[in-house]
Amino acid sequence: MLWLCLHFSSLSIELREPRDQFPTAVVDRQNSRRHVIACNKAARQAGIHPHMDASTALTLMPSLKLVDRSRSQERKALQALASWSEQFSSFVTLDAQRWLLWIEIGASLHYFGGLTALMEKITRGLGELDYSFATGIAPTVEAAALLTQHADAAPVYDQQAIKLAISALPVCLLAISPTAVDAFRDVGWQYIGEVLNAPRDQLARRFGPELTRYLQRLLGELADPREPYRTPSTYRRHLELSFAIDTTEPLLFPLKRMLGELQGYLRARDTALQALQLTLVHEKQADTVLQLGTTQPQRDAQSLWLLLREMLEQTELPEAILELILTVNQFVAPNNTQLDFFDDKSKHEQSWSNLLDKLRARLGTNAVKHMGLQDTHLPEKAWCVINHEATDKPAIAHNSPQRPLWLMQPRLLHTLPALLGKPERIECNWWSGDDVQRDYYIAETPEGSRWWLYRDVQSAQWYLHGLWG
Amino acid sequence: MQRADVIANLLRTTPDVWSGRDVAATHSRDTGFAALNALLPGHGWPLSSLIELIPLMEGIGELQLLLPALRPLCREGRDIVFIRPPHLPYPPALATAGLPLNRIIWIDAQTDEAARWSAEQILREGMAGAVLLWSDTTKDIALRRLQLAAREGKSLLFLYRSASLLQASSPATVRISLRPQAGSLHVEVIKSRGGKSASAQLQLYRVA
Repeated sequence: MLWLCLHFSSLSIELREPRDQFPTAVVDRQNSRRHVIACNKAARQAGIHPHMDASTALTLMPSLKLVDRSRSQERKALQALASWSEQFSSFVTLDAQRWLLWIEIGASLHYFGGLTALMEKITRGLGELDYSFATGIAPTVEAAALLTQHADAAPVYDQQAIKLAISALPVCLLAISPTAVDAFRDVGWQYIGEVLNAPRDQLARRFGPELTRYLQRLLGELADPREPYRTPSTYRRHLELSFAIDTTEPLLFPLKRMLGELQGYLRARDTALQALQLTLVHEKQADTVLQLGTTQPQRDAQSLWLLLREMLEQTELPEAILELILTVNQFVAPNNTQLDFFDDKSKHEQSWSNLLDKLRARLGTNAVKHMGLQDTHLPEKAWCVINHEATDKPAIAHNSPQRPLWLMQPRLLHTLPALLGKPERIECNWWSGDDVQRDYYIAETPEGSRWWLYRDVQSAQWYLHGLWG
Repeated sequence: MQRADVIANLLRTTPDVWSGRDVAATHSRDTGFAALNALLPGHGWPLSSLIELIPLMEGIGELQLLLPALRPLCREGRDIVFIRPPHLPYPPALATAGLPLNRIIWIDAQTDEAARWSAEQILREGMAGAVLLWSDTTKDIALRRLQLAAREGKSLLFLYRSASLLQASSPATVRISLRPQAGSLHVEVIKSRGGKSASAQLQLYRVA
C-alpha cells in the first residue's frame, strides 16, 4: 500500500460559497474559548491566523466577520472530494474531524504514468475545484497524514524508511492529545525520534496503550484497516450557501466546483449522464427545480456548466436562494467517441448535439424540434415532432399529393379567392366517430398569393389551411 | 501555375475580396436558377454572408426559391435550420420537395431576440448548411451581429423580413425583394455588394 494523504487545512473557510469578499474567519468552540480555525485571504492579510483567540482576532480587526464552524458542511465537502478522488483509486478513505483524505495510489501509479504524472493530475484537478491542500505520501495511513504537516517532506515508499523520515519532526505534529504532547515536553522530548527511541513498555505504562498502538500503526508494525469511502449509487451533493443570494449569477462559482466533483465521480465509474437536476432551495417558497437533459451522454464539467448557465439565465427566482442540491439519479454508458478519440464525423455530431443542448437549455427543451411523418390522411396529423434526431433512414414521401410548404391553424374564410383546379377529397376518422370530410383546393388571391384551403363538407364552411410558400 | 492564375485563384477563394462584378470572388452556392445566378456576386448565393429576402406577401414561392440550393446541402449531410418561421414548415411538403426530414431542425424561439441569438450560435458553429431566420428587427447592431456570425461559419444565411422593411437600411451583403408576377416569381436584387441592382423573372414549380 502507498497512501497519498491530502490535508485540507482551510476546508472550513474554503467550502463557503459564495466566497466571502470581506475578512472572514471560521471559529470553533472549545470549552468556553472560541478560536479561529481558518480564515480567508483578506483576514490573513490583516494578521489573523488559525489558533488565534476569537477575541484577540476581533481586537486586531474589529470588522472581522466570525462564522461558526459547520461540521456537517465539512463532512459533505470532504465526501464530495472523496467521490471525486475515486477516479484515481478504488480505495479512498477520509477523516472529516481532521480534514484528511487518503487515496491508495500504490495500485494505480503505473496506470497514471508514475507519481509525478499522477500528482500533476491531482494537483490540477484540486486547483480547478479551488481547494488548497497539503500532501503526504507514505506506506501507512498515519505516516502519510503526518507528512502533510511538513512542507517539503519527500515521499516515503518503504516502511523501513518511515522512522528516519519523521524522526526530526516536532512532537506536536503527532495525532495525539495536547496533554500527551505537553507530557512529552515535560520529559524533555522535542522530536518524534526521541519518542520512537523510548522503550515501548515504558511508553505504554506512562502514556497509556492508546499511544503505543498509534505509534505502531504509524510505523506499520500494526495493521491499520480503514473503511473505504463508498459514494452512494445515486449522486447527491448538497450545499448550504454561506449567505442567501437573490440572483442566479453568483451560483456559477459553486456550480463550477460541484460539477467538477461530479466529473471526477463519473470518471471514477466510467459512466456518464444524460439528465441532472439542480434544486434551488428558498426560505419560504417552493424549491426552484431545473432539469437538464442532454442529447448525448455527457460527463464534461465545463459543458454541463455552460448548459446550466444558459438555464439559470432564463430562470426567474421567486425568492433568494439558501441551498443548492445537485442530483443525478440515472447513469448511462459514456459515448467513448465523445470522450477520447474523435473522428471528424463524430466530432461534428458531438458539437452539433452540444450546440442543440445549449439552445434547449436557453429556449426550453421543446423549442428545438426535429420532425417526422405520420401515416394519416388528415393534413394536421400527418407529421409529428420527434425528440431526438432521427438516425434511421431519411423519411421521404413518394408519390404523395401536392402539399404546401406552410401549414397553418385552419382559419375561417368569409370571402373566397379564385379556386384553381379540381378539389382533393380528404376523408378520415369515419371509424372513430370523429368524422372529417374536406375538399381541398388551391386558390390564388388577386395579389398573387397562393393558398391551400378547404371546404368542410358538413358545415359547408371554408378554411385557409396552408400557403404555397 | 502562372502567377496571374495564382492571384486569380487567391482572389476567388478569399471571401472578403471583391474585385468587380465579373471577377466577383466569393464562395457561393448555385441557386439553381441561371437567371438568378447571373445577378449575384460569385454567381450564386454567397456563403458566410447575410442574404436578406423580402417577400412582399406570403404564399408566393418564397421558400420554393431556396429549394434547389438546399437539396444539395442535405445530400452533403448538412442541416437546414428554420428559426422562428411564421408558420409550420410542413414536413410532408418538405419531404416531397427533396429535403429529408432528418436534416431539418426547427427552432421554435419565443422572441425575436432569442431567434437571433440561436441563429448566431448556429452560424458560429459553422456546421449548418443553411440558416433560415425570420426576424423583423430594425436594430442595425443586431443585423451586424448576424452578419459577423455568418462570416465566422460557412453557412448560407437567409434572413426573411416583412415587406414593411423594404426601405429600411441594412448591412446585408445581398437584399432581394420577391413578388408574384403572372404565375412566376419576380426577383429583384435591390442591393448587392460586388454586383449591381437588377431583376429577373423566375419560373418556380407552381402547383395547379
